[in-house]
Amino acid sequence: MGVKKIIKTVFMLEILKGMSLTFRALFRRPVTRQYPKHKREPFAGFRGLHALTRRPDGDAVCVGCGLCAAICPSQCIKIYTSEGADHKKVVDRYEIEVLRCLYCGLCVEACPFKAVVMTDIYEYSSFTRQELYMTKDKLLANWDRFSEKRKKTYFGSFWKPLFTDFSGSDKQAKLQDVSKAKKHEDIYLEAGK
Amino acid sequence: MIESIISSIGIGGFAGSMIALLIKIAIVFGVVMLHVAYATYFERKVIGHIQMRLGPMTVGPHGILQPVADGIKSFFKEDVIPSGADKAIFKLAPVVSVFAALGCLAVVPFFDGFVLANINIGLLYIFAMSSLSAYGIVMAGWSSNSKYSFLGGLRSTAQVISYEVALGLSLVGVMILSESLNLTEIVNAQQKYWHGMFIIPQFLGAFVFMIAAFAETNRAPFDLPEAESELVAGFFVEYSGMRFALFYMAEYIGMLVMSSISVLCFMGGWTLPPFILEVFPSLAAVPGLVWFLFKIYFHVFVYYWIRSTLPRFRYDHLMSLGWKVLIPLALINIVITALVKYYC
Repeated sequence: MGVKKIIKTVFMLEILKGMSLTFRALFRRPVTRQYPKHKREPFAGFRGLHALTRRPDGDAVCVGCGLCAAICPSQCIKIYTSEGADHKKVVDRYEIEVLRCLYCGLCVEACPFKAVVMTDIYEYSSFTRQELYMTKDKLLANWDRFSEKRKKTYFGSFWKPLFTDFSGSDKQAKLQDVSKAKKHEDIYLEAGK
Repeated sequence: MIESIISSIGIGGFAGSMIALLIKIAIVFGVVMLHVAYATYFERKVIGHIQMRLGPMTVGPHGILQPVADGIKSFFKEDVIPSGADKAIFKLAPVVSVFAALGCLAVVPFFDGFVLANINIGLLYIFAMSSLSAYGIVMAGWSSNSKYSFLGGLRSTAQVISYEVALGLSLVGVMILSESLNLTEIVNAQQKYWHGMFIIPQFLGAFVFMIAAFAETNRAPFDLPEAESELVAGFFVEYSGMRFALFYMAEYIGMLVMSSISVLCFMGGWTLPPFILEVFPSLAAVPGLVWFLFKIYFHVFVYYWIRSTLPRFRYDHLMSLGWKVLIPLALINIVITALVKYYC
């Protein structure tokens, strides 16, 4: 045992080092966030509670194509449509069972009309399952809770639909390539300005 | 002071002194219970901030009413007694623990002249009472009819037996230097030296005492009887509600008692060292209680500080540290102190 080691053992240098570390930590800023008082703003593109976008006249943008329901991996979206006046398709019911949703965001990507979106709302716990079964009215109400500023960044940077062009047989339901997706984004950003 | 007030009212003699004693006991009991409540708060805050958390924050401003909430909660909680438990011993165990811890307070002088029982074997009495607290733990461990609490109780027995020896031996040096077992006289004896604190000539004894006190009060890094990660909560696994709170109280009173012995025997109690008073004479005007509490809370802080720094000892390491390091060190300290005292 060398002299150094004897000194280390006798004066417990290792323990003193550790204690100085904890003492310095005592005066460091705590990292705790006092949750109900100080809420953290979700990051842009946060995938929270679903919403149905509104048309200027107040009704849902959704045309009832069913792409979101088709792509949903947990099959929690249910759409019921009927034929209305002038042979128009009418969306009678649009329902999302939020408790089964895994927030992958595929429904948002699948939607060609930015009709279904995911908001930054993350506080929606409830005592009953019924309250978390989102009907069309609830989803439209969610859209109203989604702030304007957020809507812009959301559609500007995070809304990237898989399909955009449904005209013509050869172009129908074509997977959009990367360069085109960027172009679409630019168009929307310009519209936002 | 209290005696003079009582005698001025017109109650003299034995009755007067008994009433004065009862009032003193009430004061000490109340203050100590308040200390226990806020020591838990202090601990949670200190350890929280060391781990860069905030500690209790919701009850009252900065969680200042947390101990009150805890007290009310534990008081109204269901008192569960396991079906296989030895009921009489199970109920007696926390009482024994608290009794032993509170009993120690009788001989602790909080400042000059304020002591419940100024007996000439104060230090010995404290050793006796603090050893009794081990009975509470063993009884709890045995009567709970649970293997975790049983192991906790067994560990506690072995730990207390081996560290009691070191604890006693570490204070023999102080007894030799002060030639007394009375705690007030030990404090006064320290004033006769230039250093005013026995920690300077008795650094070895103070070191051994410190470590043995950690083991004696079952605090980290020697918290093997309650070892959360191995034995769930050790000897009080099966306790709930107020009985659990009594064990908690006993632990924190034990810490207070051990800190106060350390302050009285090694740090000069309620006095300041003469060399400090020479430099700052105005400090003599500060009441002794302030210095006593300041030193006590420094010790209590060190308890928390060590707890948040060091991991728990392995059981055989604990035993070998006690028997192979601390007891020989304490014996060496006694021999050196005795020789110096005899020849100088």
